[in-house]
Amino acid sequence: MRRRAVVWSVLSSGAILAVGWQLGAETAATTGLAETQAAPDASSASVSGGSAATTPSATTPSATTPSAAATPAPTTSEAPAAAAPAAPAAVSGTFTGTSVSTRYGSVQVQVVVSNGSITDVVALKLTNDDNRSVSISNRAAPVLRSEVLAAQSAKVQGVSGATYTSDAYLTSLQAALDQAGL
Amino acid sequence: MSIQTATRRRASPNSVDRARRTRTRRRLRRADLLVVLCWSSVAVAVSLYLAYGGLSEVRDVASALTALGIVTGLVGTDLILVMLVLAARIPLIDRAVGQDRAIAVHRSLGKPALYLILAHGVLLTIGYAMSDGSSVVAETIAFLQGSDLVLGYAGLGLLVLVVVTSVVAVRRRFSYEAWHLIHLLSYVAVLIALPHQLSSGAVLADGTLQRVYWIALYVLAFGSIGVFRFAVPLIRSARHDISVAAVEAIAPGVVSIHLRGRDLGRLQTAGGQYAIWRFWSAKTWWHAHPISFSAVPTATGARITVRDLGRGSSAISRVRPGTRVSIEGPYGIFTDEVRAAPRMAVVAAGIGITPVRSLLEGSVLLPGEATVLLRATDASQQYLWQEVSALPSLTGSAVYSMVGPRPPGLATWMSAEALARGVTLTSAFPDLLVSDLYVCGPQSWTELVIRDARAAGLPEKQLHVERFDW
Amino acid sequence: MATHVFDTMGTGASIRFAGDLPPAEALTAVETCFAEFDAQFSLYRSDSEISEIARGALTLPLASERFRDLYAEALHWRSLTHDSFSPHRPDRVLDLSGLVKAKAMDAAAAGLSAADVHDWMLNVGGDLLVDGNLEGSPWHVAVVDPDDRCHLLCTFDLDGSRTSLATSGTTERGEHIWRSRATSTYRQVSVVADDIVTADVLATAILAGGRERLDEAVETFGVDVIAVDADGSIVATERMHRAHGFAL
Repeated sequence: MRRRAVVWSVLSSGAILAVGWQLGAETAATTGLAETQAAPDASSASVSGGSAATTPSATTPSATTPSAAATPAPTTSEAPAAAAPAAPAAVSGTFTGTSVSTRYGSVQVQVVVSNGSITDVVALKLTNDDNRSVSISNRAAPVLRSEVLAAQSAKVQGVSGATYTSDAYLTSLQAALDQAGL
Repeated sequence: MSIQTATRRRASPNSVDRARRTRTRRRLRRADLLVVLCWSSVAVAVSLYLAYGGLSEVRDVASALTALGIVTGLVGTDLILVMLVLAARIPLIDRAVGQDRAIAVHRSLGKPALYLILAHGVLLTIGYAMSDGSSVVAETIAFLQGSDLVLGYAGLGLLVLVVVTSVVAVRRRFSYEAWHLIHLLSYVAVLIALPHQLSSGAVLADGTLQRVYWIALYVLAFGSIGVFRFAVPLIRSARHDISVAAVEAIAPGVVSIHLRGRDLGRLQTAGGQYAIWRFWSAKTWWHAHPISFSAVPTATGARITVRDLGRGSSAISRVRPGTRVSIEGPYGIFTDEVRAAPRMAVVAAGIGITPVRSLLEGSVLLPGEATVLLRATDASQQYLWQEVSALPSLTGSAVYSMVGPRPPGLATWMSAEALARGVTLTSAFPDLLVSDLYVCGPQSWTELVIRDARAAGLPEKQLHVERFDW
Repeated sequence: MATHVFDTMGTGASIRFAGDLPPAEALTAVETCFAEFDAQFSLYRSDSEISEIARGALTLPLASERFRDLYAEALHWRSLTHDSFSPHRPDRVLDLSGLVKAKAMDAAAAGLSAADVHDWMLNVGGDLLVDGNLEGSPWHVAVVDPDDRCHLLCTFDLDGSRTSLATSGTTERGEHIWRSRATSTYRQVSVVADDIVTADVLATAILAGGRERLDEAVETFGVDVIAVDADGSIVATERMHRAHGFAL
């Protein structure tokens, strides 16, 4: 009888593993968000490639991965199985991905899409690991300047800089703004 | 002690044989099912991980190591929980394969489970270290700063302690009770490792099937232990109110302890079973012993026979009448229930006579259906032999005795004299291959009988062995 | 919009209101608030409590309750930032200036709230604290370019719970930041947070403690950071990547 037990064990275990494998592959493929047509931004994924601090275990098989793609721009990220087809234009709405496990707990990602572009990615459920609330979507990464901004064109009401003396204030941008605002 | 045997009428041989074959088939299928369930539970653990997208997170070496670390943790924990279920003395498992076999499987899973959990820790530390770009040491320090993870490490440490002390070489140095106490730390190890599985091991995330499965498994393991190792024995001992009635020396170093109790028929003890006994006297309360019933219990009385083998059992031999006794069981499948063949062959030596005596008493046998061979080295080991010969169920059956030392230097279960005469197992039991063979005696002697039986071609399902050493 | 400008704590301060200026009492209350803190905690005034303690004329146990509370809070921040922010100067002088300005801003904000004055932006020496909004839109703020005070590094909205923006730098008045070159090469650090004390302390701590402290601060406090390195490279948290002036 032992041999029969072995045979059946192998068969049933194999079947169970196969089902799990299949389910896993399906989840990964179907929950990827539609890829957008904002092509120029897609190349900026190479900028995020420089982000050293990707947390692989924090990525989700669904939706976009906030930490893997350093940019909030409309790109779909890595997920190996997420070969999502190109989207029909102008998809808008808020999409919630599946709850995914990370070393910090379970994370559920909500993606806000506006006219086919991802405008926001929000991590919904972040559990604390020993009082350390982790904002996995907010790790610091290198960024490039697009231009040197002139104060006048910026339409700001306040400028923050290192603390200046009173005299320095007088020649500061803030003073200029304050005078203009008066 | 009056020994009563019920007068039972036997059905016709054919229907009895058919019934036996069916029962055996069912029992063996149940045993197979248990094996399949054990392996399937491991498969389910891994499969759930896969189903929830575990593999899609594998992109590079670091994440592969991390994933492998998670899987080894899942499999290791699953195996440990299976081990707990096997040690829980669940009646269903006892009836299907017997406690001794369950414990044997339990033992065999110990080291693999430990290695898997160790791998779990190592792989995850390396995997996270690689993906974070930090060192293994830094990662370990980071882990140690999480209180749940510290408990995980502590659980692992306890597990190592338990497994190391269970390795035979180390176990020998401890008294059984001391070893068992350390072994019970395994419950602690499993429980304190639970928090880190819930918080850091996000496989148990809320609302997932994984969580359901693992919680169910934990409940099954600890629930079984709670019920069958603690609650049921406590209730039984209280209900049956067993105490020592008399202690009778029947041979040098051998005593029969007569027990009195209430409503013992409710225990439904079959001939050949044993129970785990605890005698509540000053010198004996902290150890529990598996001892076979040497007679089928009546409504108010039972009898067990013990040989003076070590400090523990010698103390038992000296318990005084009136001592309270608690019972776990009855357990065992050295009974009439597991008959698979038309005839019965019984071989017993020394203290092995004990379960055989009650087995034969409790069996319903046709005249001449059974053949019994009793082995002793000398006259001091022939206790209970008269009783066996006098059993009503053995009317018309042959009871042989083989007395004498074995030939020096030769590994055989027979006496020198019998060997010289050319006696073999098959000559003593010509119908061996259509018999159920019941063997009970000292361990190494038993193994020799089994070796001969298998060599003669006896099917496994017809071989029934009572072991005392588990 | 109406703006009120005043001097305090050795620097220039201004409050900009979305509508008209509030009653004079409210503004006076704000100025008084700062003046009180300055009187107590300025090391540049020989008669301040902190100066007395510095020269030993007053011992800590006998100091005022507000002083001791502030000191305790500074110690708490020191342990939270693993010594990157510390009221203890290498020359053993107790210097609470890293905390005082933000605490004063907090107190002033509480005063304005109590007087039911809303929708304003307070700027004290480069630290920004806002309340409400500017006619329905969030206050739009900027971080100055550390290489050129006349230009901006980036601009963004202070929206939602983000009310505070503090910047620490080595450009001006950097003496109160003691850092080892080994741990930090940052030249300027800006922190966006839900309260001004957190923003100010963390800006100082990250400037002193470098990348390690930055990661910790982001993880533990959930703040946003923009840090400019000595070689000009910029590191920012995800949400700040959307700021105007940064390449997407």
